[in-house]
Parts: sequence; structure tokens; C-alpha cells
Amino acid sequence: MAVAPLPTAPAPVAPGTASAAPVLSLRGIVKCFPGVRALDGVSLDVRPGEVHVLLGENGAGKSTLINVIAGTFAADAGDYLIDGMPAGALTPQRARALGICPVFQEFSLAPNLTVEDNLFLGREPRRLGFLDRRAMRAEARRIIADLGFDLDPARTVATLSRAHQQMAEIAKALLAEPRVLILDEPTASLTESETEKLFGLIERLRAEGVAIIYVSHRMPEIRRLGDRITVLRDGRHVRTLPMAGVTEEALVELMTGRKVEVLFPHIQHRPGEAALELRGLTTADRSVQGADFVARRGEITGIAGLVGCGKSELVRAAYGLCPLEGGEVRLFGETFRHPSPARALRQGLCYFPSDRVAEGLALERPIRENASMAALDEAAIARGGVLRRAGERGLIQRTVERLALRPAHIERPVGALSGGNRQKVVLARGLVRDTQVFLFDEPTVGIDVGAKADLYAVLKELAEGGAAIVLVSSELPEVLHLSNRVYVMHRSRMIAELSGADLTEQAILSCFFAETGDGRTGREGVAS
Amino acid sequence: MTETPVPSTATVASPAAMPAAGSLVRRLGLPAALVVMVAAFTVAEPRMLAGDNLLNVVVQASYLTLFALAQVVVLLTRGFDLSLGTAVSTVSVFAALLLTGSFGGAAGTLAGIVGGLALAAAIGAVNGAVVAWLRVSPFVATLGMLNVCLGLASLLSDGRPVAGLPDTFTTLFYAAAPLGIPAPVLVALGVAGLLYALLHHTVFGRSLYLVGGNPRAAEVAGVPVRAVLVGAYALCSLLAGIGALLLTARTGTGEPNLGGTLTLESIAAAVVGGASLRGGAGGVGAAVLGALFVTVLANGMNLTRVDGNVQAIVLGCVIVAAVVADRLRTGGGR
Repeated sequence: MAVAPLPTAPAPVAPGTASAAPVLSLRGIVKCFPGVRALDGVSLDVRPGEVHVLLGENGAGKSTLINVIAGTFAADAGDYLIDGMPAGALTPQRARALGICPVFQEFSLAPNLTVEDNLFLGREPRRLGFLDRRAMRAEARRIIADLGFDLDPARTVATLSRAHQQMAEIAKALLAEPRVLILDEPTASLTESETEKLFGLIERLRAEGVAIIYVSHRMPEIRRLGDRITVLRDGRHVRTLPMAGVTEEALVELMTGRKVEVLFPHIQHRPGEAALELRGLTTADRSVQGADFVARRGEITGIAGLVGCGKSELVRAAYGLCPLEGGEVRLFGETFRHPSPARALRQGLCYFPSDRVAEGLALERPIRENASMAALDEAAIARGGVLRRAGERGLIQRTVERLALRPAHIERPVGALSGGNRQKVVLARGLVRDTQVFLFDEPTVGIDVGAKADLYAVLKELAEGGAAIVLVSSELPEVLHLSNRVYVMHRSRMIAELSGADLTEQAILSCFFAETGDGRTGREGVAS
Repeated sequence: MTETPVPSTATVASPAAMPAAGSLVRRLGLPAALVVMVAAFTVAEPRMLAGDNLLNVVVQASYLTLFALAQVVVLLTRGFDLSLGTAVSTVSVFAALLLTGSFGGAAGTLAGIVGGLALAAAIGAVNGAVVAWLRVSPFVATLGMLNVCLGLASLLSDGRPVAGLPDTFTTLFYAAAPLGIPAPVLVALGVAGLLYALLHHTVFGRSLYLVGGNPRAAEVAGVPVRAVLVGAYALCSLLAGIGALLLTARTGTGEPNLGGTLTLESIAAAVVGGASLRGGAGGVGAAVLGALFVTVLANGMNLTRVDGNVQAIVLGCVIVAAVVADRLRTGGGR
């Protein structure tokens, strides 16, 4: 790859040299949102010429931290120094002017403008008061060529794939000649060759002395790029350590605060009859193509895959949330025709959505109503269309206590609960009726470690009690440690079924990266 | 806004009172405003508290309560019904045609009542079907129906009031006063009671709140969202139809312009009473309180001889203020 030097290259500094003065220094940063202490005394030094990885579970505070660095949020307490000087009242504009350039997961592009319009938004080159279109076009082409991206600057952003939007976003950040580049899961929607280009670019910027803050969950990337790594947990700074010589287990332990085997319970899987069977399943939107799958009673069946591979759509299709084009869904040996949520629930199949705010809960309604929502046809809750309110209250109260939801105050609105408790309310739905097959879609996204452990305990109890559990998760350790068998999906297809000794992290990862090429489309969304 | 699980507050009495400390203010705020308003009008015009005026206010409020109850049902599902006013006109004309038609006597009265209510429910069911199945926004769907009903009412009546309603009908729905309580008040109370039971003790009522709270989540949980929407709009129009019969009995004719400003007033009453335009909040209490508030406001302005046009301006401002208050208490720009 031919690499032209970027316009202004500061004097090169050896990567991550201890002697280099930090370009950014955060000291005891606190940031609170109503009901949450998102950052609680976080300190961070970022030096010129290093790739500094931020690692932490969902909800650990990574996003909040980079938003504070980028000037989007003002810290409630703590010091923020840029080049040793207090940053003062920072706004996103001022941060950019100081060379701090974020590339967020939520894109900041104006969808109806072209790529070049977006690149120069707010700093358009002008001639005699008019936009200098020619200069814009030339500059945009130069920058994109410099990055090695395959991107047409004249295209309207809305017509681009997600991967190309991501490239435009990165190009926009680099236009400002950054001193600190913030990348939040930048590879989530890139193909491998694009990822390679991005890595090359990151290495070049690092050599030129740019400080890079890199947020990612992907171990191979972190290993390849990272110089130092800072682990956050529950809004706190856990440790900053050099990348060299760190094991993955150690990182997981730092992230979760407990040893892997303590977090994940030991589950006695006793696979029984086939509960949910999918044969040659293809969804109308082609997010799943020709998938075969079996979940048995008495075991946890994992489905792993990158974001957007179709693993979530697979279980949604079985529950009737994605229209089918072909294939068959079978429940306990019988064909399940025309799946719909109401029919699925009656047959003992329950789906627990990953986005609990969008698809799971009516936030202003009380816990009780949310927990009984999927069981309004159950005799214990209503008979002949008339609610049995006392019966409902008793049943929900018992279920909520069984799930260790605290405080077990069933008349509180769900909106007042933490992520973990919200998940328990959704989970309660499966328990207030006779559910035999549980479809969990990213069940631990956005919940804290304690609630995770509670959830895993419930999964264990259910599986050992003979229920069929399907666990769709982007968190590899979770799938790996809880499942008896794991299916791997890649680009809408089921590409592997692993169990026993074959079920290793290495095996799953090699499936993720089995194929290469540019066949991926932009529909492979961003990791949440 | 900040909710802390402190056990020793005023809300200890019942766990159901816990949900939001703010709702206590909301519950007492409107009655307090009502009392202040009555006091202010009484100072300006002592006739406000005269017996016949109070009776007048209560009867007036009964009509508005019915229409506000109708709006609350669809407001719960994040909708509203702009066609309510012209649907009332259409039902009035249609019922009057049946009442004065060839059936005669008791059969004619029955035909008028049943036919009018059936037409009302049908209008609402069409609204609901357009919203639920064709996925047209409630604004556009009911705006279209507003025009359809406007045309229907004129077509059916040739633009003239339908006169000569049988006495049994006007007596039953207007003049009768068992135990001294005027018929409209009794009907409004009865409907309010039934609707309360429906909202809080039936699966359909619960579904209205769930669909309004989060339609997507309700769907994922197996709630038949579309059927609930059709039911909500049909029920809304049915309640408006009951109001239409009461108003028709009062005027003694089937009026093609009966609905007039009812749409606006009914939405105003419901929202002022505390029903949220964003669904999932409000109930019978909101409709009753809001209807009382709007009626007292209008009555007070009449007594103090405020110009009719100024009254319209005041009502407009009250609606916007109520929506702003709703936005403020549910926390901003969602």
C-alpha cells in the first residue's frame, strides 16, 4: 500500500514512549446522569503516538468517557488537561479546533448531503463568498485517495452502505488534522480489506505522533494495534496496563471483576427431545438464508456470530417477528405454521428482545403490567377478558421475587429501574406462563455484572429443569461458557455447529473470519 | 422528578400511589385550579354559584365528559380523533331520519338509537382499520374521516335540520330526571363508570395502556395491537355517538352542524385533565375533571360577558398550555 504523508506531520515520537508528555490527561472525572453515576473518578493519560485501547463491558462508561473527551458532555467533577493546560468549558467545536476528533458509532453525517459536502460541513472553502466546489472536490478526492478508501465523494450519504458511511466519517475526522483521534468500534461495519486499510492508516498516524483512543471488543484487533489498555468497570477506572504480555483471561477478569468460572455457573446439560427445529429457514429480507438449527430440551444452545450476521433474525423469525420466505419451523416435532408472537407464546415459545427499551417494555407502566403483558390470555391473570387483579398481583410478585428483582415493588414504573432489573421484568414474562423454549437475544447487553450473574443463574435453573434455551449473543465468553452446543452464523448462513472439545474460542473466531472478500453489504450493522 | 425509595412519604397509604411523586401534584393540581377559577369567577359574578347555574354547568359538563371520554380511549393508544365533531353531526342526522321515518312509535325510537350507535361504531371502526392496517397516522386518517362525515351529514339531511323527533326520544335523553338527576348527567355517570371498569378490569382496557405505552413491545409480547386499535377507535366513536343522541334530544332536531367545535373541546378537556398525547396515560378521571374545567371556564366567561371570539382564543391557549405541561412533566423532548 503506497502511503503518502499526511499534510502536517508533527515530529515523529516513538510509540508510547514513557517520556512523551501526555496530550490528554483526565483526573478523577465524574459524570452523572439521572439515576446513574456513569463515570466515577476516572483517570486517563493519552500520549502522542500511542494507540490507547478502552475496554469494558457495555455500560462500563466507555461511551460517556469518549463523549467527555470530545466535549459532548461536560464532566461534573475532575480535571481535564490538554497539553497540560485545563481544557476549560469544552464544546465539540472547541475540541475539534484543539485537534480532538471523534468518530462515533452514531454517525454525525447529514444524510441528504454528498460525502464532500459533509467533509467540509461548516468549514467550506469559499471564493468571493460562494462555495468553491472545485476546491472541495479536489481536496475530498485527495483525502479519500490518501486513506485508500473506495469512496465516491459526489455520492449522497444516505445512498451509501454503512461501511462507506463509516469511511466518510473517518475521512471527515482526519480532515481536521487530528492530534487525538477517537475511534469507537470502527471496524464493526467494515469488510476485512477495508479493515486492513484502516489498520494501516492507524499505524501510520501513530508513527506520525497522533494519539489514538480505540474502543473495541475484538481481541485480535486490540492485540494487533494496542500499545496500552485501560479497563473500565461500572464507571470506574480499573487499571491501565501495557498490552504486551496481557492474557485474555486477565482482561475478562478485569472487565467483569470476577474470575471467569465464578461469573459463569457450571451447568449440567442433559439434552433431550428436539424442542425448536428450523429447516432451511430463509427470511423475506434474506438476513437468514437456508439455516438449519435444532434446540433441545435440557441444554443451552448458543448462536454466535458478528453483528449483522443474521443470528438475531433467526430467532426472531421463529417467533414470528421476521417474515419467512422459505423453510420450516418445527416445535416439538410438529410444524409451526405462520409464526406470530401470540401463537408462539401459546405453544410455549417466548422471545426476549435485545433492545428492551424499543421492543420490550412500556417504560411508564408499572412492573406488574409489563411482566404480565405476554400472559393476558392465561387463566391465572384473566378469564373471559376480565382481569383477575389479585391473582395477577400475587403471581407477578412471586415471580419478581424469584428473579431477585430489588426492590420487588411491582407498582413502580419500569422506567425507574436499572438495566439489569428491566431485563428481569422482561424475563418474568417467560416465567408467568408455561414456557418451554426461551429465545434470548443478547440478554446481557446493558446490564451490570451482578444482574448478569443473576441471569446466568436463572438460565442454569431453566436448562437443568428441562427447558430449551437458545442464547444469541455477541459476547463470546458468554456463549462459550454457558452453551452446550454453539452454532456459528456468518453472512446470513449457518456455517458451523460446535460442541464438546471442538467448542473453543479459537474455533468460533476462525469461523467469523473464515471467508474474505468484499461481498459484505452495509447491512452488517454496528455493534451495540 | 427525582424518585427516591424513601418509605416515609405521604404516598405510603397505598403502594399504587407510589409510581410517581409528581402524579400527586398532578392529581391535586387540577382540582385546585378548578376551585381557584370558580372562586375568581364568583368574585366577578356572584351568579356563578347560584343553584340553577350550577345545575347548568353540571349538565353541560356531562355532554363534554362523554366526548372527552371518547377521546381518552384513543389518546391512550397514542392517537386522537379529529372526526369526532362531524361524526356527531352525521350520527345526529342519521338517527333523526330513523326516528322520524316510517317505523313510527317505539320501533322508530329504538331504530334511531340502535342505528345511530351502529353508524357511530362503524365510523370509528373504519378510522381504526385505516390507522391499524393501512398504517396511516391518526392525524391523517381521522382528518379524512372528518371530511367524509361532513359530506355525509349534509347529504343525508340536504343541509337542513331534521325536525319532528318523537317525544319519547327527547324525553328519554333530555327531559327525564329520575330522582331529580337530569338524564344527560345519569348517562355520563353511567358511561364513565362502565368505561372505568373496562379500562382497569378487562384485558382490552389493559391492552389500550400497553399499546399506548409501547406499541412495538406490545406486539412482541403477543398483544393483538391492530385489533386493539380498531376496537379503540370504534369505542371512541360509539361513546361520541351516545353524546350525539343526547345532544340531538336536547336540540329536538337532527343537526348537520351539531358537532361544531366538539373535536377541539373534547381533546382540550382530555389533555387538560391529564391524558397524554403520547399515549399510555390518563383515564376516566382525566376526562371528567378536564370536562368540568373547560365547562366552568366557558360558563364563567359567559357570565362575565367575555366576547365569544375571545373565548375561542382562551380555549386555544389552554390546550397548548396543557400540552406544554404534559411535556414538562413527562420530561422533555422525547
